[in-house]
Amino acid sequence: MPFSFIDIEEKKTRVIGYLFAFIIVFYFVTSYLVLLVLENSVFPSFDYYTGRGFRMPPLEHTLIAFGVALIAGLMHWSLSTSHLIERICLTVGASPIDTKDTYHQYLKNIVDEVSVAIGGRRLEAYVIPSAAMNAFAIEDFGGRAVIGVTEGLLSRLNRAQIEAVVGHEAGHIISGDCLSTTVTCALSEIYDESFSKLGGALKRTRGRGSVVLLLLYLVIGAMRLMSNIIRYFISRQREYRADAVGVRLTRDPLSLAEALELISRTWRGQGAMGERMQSIFIINPAASQLDETEGLFSDMFSTHPPIKHRISILADMAHLDHKTLQENLKNFKRVAPIAKPEFKVEEAAAPASWLVFMGQDWLGPFGPAELLKLDGFKPDVWVRAEGSSVTSHAYEVPALLDLFRPAEVIGRTGAGNCPRCHTPLSEYSYEGVSILKCVYCEGVFVEQDKISRIFVRRDMDFGDDVVRLAKNFMGTKGKDALAEKIEPKNAWVLDCPKCHIQFKDKFKMRRQFFVHSYPVEIDRCSRCDGVWLDKYELEILQYLYEHKEQFFDGSNF
Amino acid sequence: MVVLVVLAVLAIALALWFFTTYNSLIGLKIRVDNAWSQIDVQLKRRYDLIPNLVESVKGYMQHEKDTLERVIKARSQAIDASGIKDKAQAENFLTQTLKSLFAVVERYPDIKANQNVLKLQEELTSTENKISFARQYYNDEVGRFNTSIQVVPANIVANACGFTRKEFFEIEDKAQKEAPKVQF
Repeated sequence: MPFSFIDIEEKKTRVIGYLFAFIIVFYFVTSYLVLLVLENSVFPSFDYYTGRGFRMPPLEHTLIAFGVALIAGLMHWSLSTSHLIERICLTVGASPIDTKDTYHQYLKNIVDEVSVAIGGRRLEAYVIPSAAMNAFAIEDFGGRAVIGVTEGLLSRLNRAQIEAVVGHEAGHIISGDCLSTTVTCALSEIYDESFSKLGGALKRTRGRGSVVLLLLYLVIGAMRLMSNIIRYFISRQREYRADAVGVRLTRDPLSLAEALELISRTWRGQGAMGERMQSIFIINPAASQLDETEGLFSDMFSTHPPIKHRISILADMAHLDHKTLQENLKNFKRVAPIAKPEFKVEEAAAPASWLVFMGQDWLGPFGPAELLKLDGFKPDVWVRAEGSSVTSHAYEVPALLDLFRPAEVIGRTGAGNCPRCHTPLSEYSYEGVSILKCVYCEGVFVEQDKISRIFVRRDMDFGDDVVRLAKNFMGTKGKDALAEKIEPKNAWVLDCPKCHIQFKDKFKMRRQFFVHSYPVEIDRCSRCDGVWLDKYELEILQYLYEHKEQFFDGSNF
Repeated sequence: MVVLVVLAVLAIALALWFFTTYNSLIGLKIRVDNAWSQIDVQLKRRYDLIPNLVESVKGYMQHEKDTLERVIKARSQAIDASGIKDKAQAENFLTQTLKSLFAVVERYPDIKANQNVLKLQEELTSTENKISFARQYYNDEVGRFNTSIQVVPANIVANACGFTRKEFFEIEDKAQKEAPKVQF
């Protein structure tokens, strides 16, 4: 342990104290400069040519200016440090995990493990819905700590590597530099927003107002530049230290080295995640040349140390060199946290009697007629043919699915109804994401925020029929379809399963192409933006998305 | 007079040193106890998960009754064990039997395709990792405590107040020493 806990607390408060003092002094200096300019322009005794007649402001004016500065400084401080975590999460687009999502649950387990390793302090797990690979840690004054990773990282690293990354982030938290980094980011970010808003307003305003705006724009711009200095409080050494503490926690330097290597090769989220927030990430989202160099200048002005150096230190701990590490990663394959569906079609005669798993036990055997009389026999119960060891859902067995058809109940349950068959939808896990599926027509309803998660993850295998259909779609036939417009009479037909419960016919789903490069027609709800996809359409879209290089370089078509 | 003052100052300084050392030792001892309760929480979690896993794979594994029975037996042994050394031994045995259960599960594609089993397996893997992390944390704390009661001059205070060395939660299995974590 580099520090005792008391040292850490002391160091924390000291850095925060410096930051606060810096803010106050910064405002004092600024307000004094403004005061100087005002004094010499309101009563212009100052002669530009001779430089004579320069007036120093009287004491009472100075005191007033300092009072104003104090208020402004306090406001800046309190505005940027209130709801610290929520505001930063909003800027980088992170949100708490979805407990129904297998991958997110997997992340939560890992974060909980690391929380045990640091002695039981609670850590919250957040996810950024982005295909980029990166991770961050933030902390507020109340001791609430958040560790976030992107979907891209979650779907491309293996368990040990994610654990190593989370360990690195926990390293920031327990070595005490996380809070100061978080506060620094919040402080330097506050002018960005007003600056860009003013810029927009400036373009629209004409006449006298625009002069005032321009002045304000320049002042805010100057403040923004100045408050950026604050970021150089953050030393790039902290990343080395967090690497070391992370390794002490997980005892796995190799995985951290591999994770850094894999992250550094891909898009880390430049342009997508708050530019001023780069200090909170494990690797700078903006891949800057400055980070990769050493020396006094880059030590002062960059937020992250050279990745190559970090990796070789870690690889060295695992008795490897950087080259060997890269060689080993060539064959890198991760184990997916989900069960892959199999594409075997079994044509067997339907057995006459079945065992049903209900309550906590296998019941039966029952004949088809008896099954229907059972209370709680639904399409999603587990069944097994008598004498067989294969267990499946009732809806996966065609013979049993037929049993349900006459007994269809058209009712409105909590999950909503299939817009085509008007039967209740059941929850279904597709690549770890919980979506709604109709057991009859096999169409699925996917909420807006979930569809991007599905496309980021690449752990599904596709059946031959999906591949064939997808290729058809991208062939000439599909291109013709793109040229045609969707007929208006088909455009507003389906009810959104979610919104229909509450709003009846007020909102319909609109038929459109999912994106304009892929001729797959989907229905999108005009209220919640959820998407209805018919059988195979989700798989086709995902296949197209994952193989887009193949379709767009023209080699296959 | 001067001698008395010097003696009084010395006595006060000695008492102050004694109390601060004693307090810091007590602080360390409480942290060791805390770390132990962390391990305990995770071990209990594992005891709760095992019956569920056994229940859900039982249906598939008619021919592997032995493995399942060994797991159940190891679990009840671990629950009954008392004292850090016995506990550590029983837990290591349980970890090994669980590993052999996972190895058997690998041979059954039916089970691997079952989301429910997969979820339980992930939970158990996570709990195994938590146990090893909690043990690591506990051993770190014990190491620090043991060091601080033996260094001069704190050992005088420790001996006077009856602080004794704490036991490590040790791993005896060699294979486990090389690969301390279950990875999937």
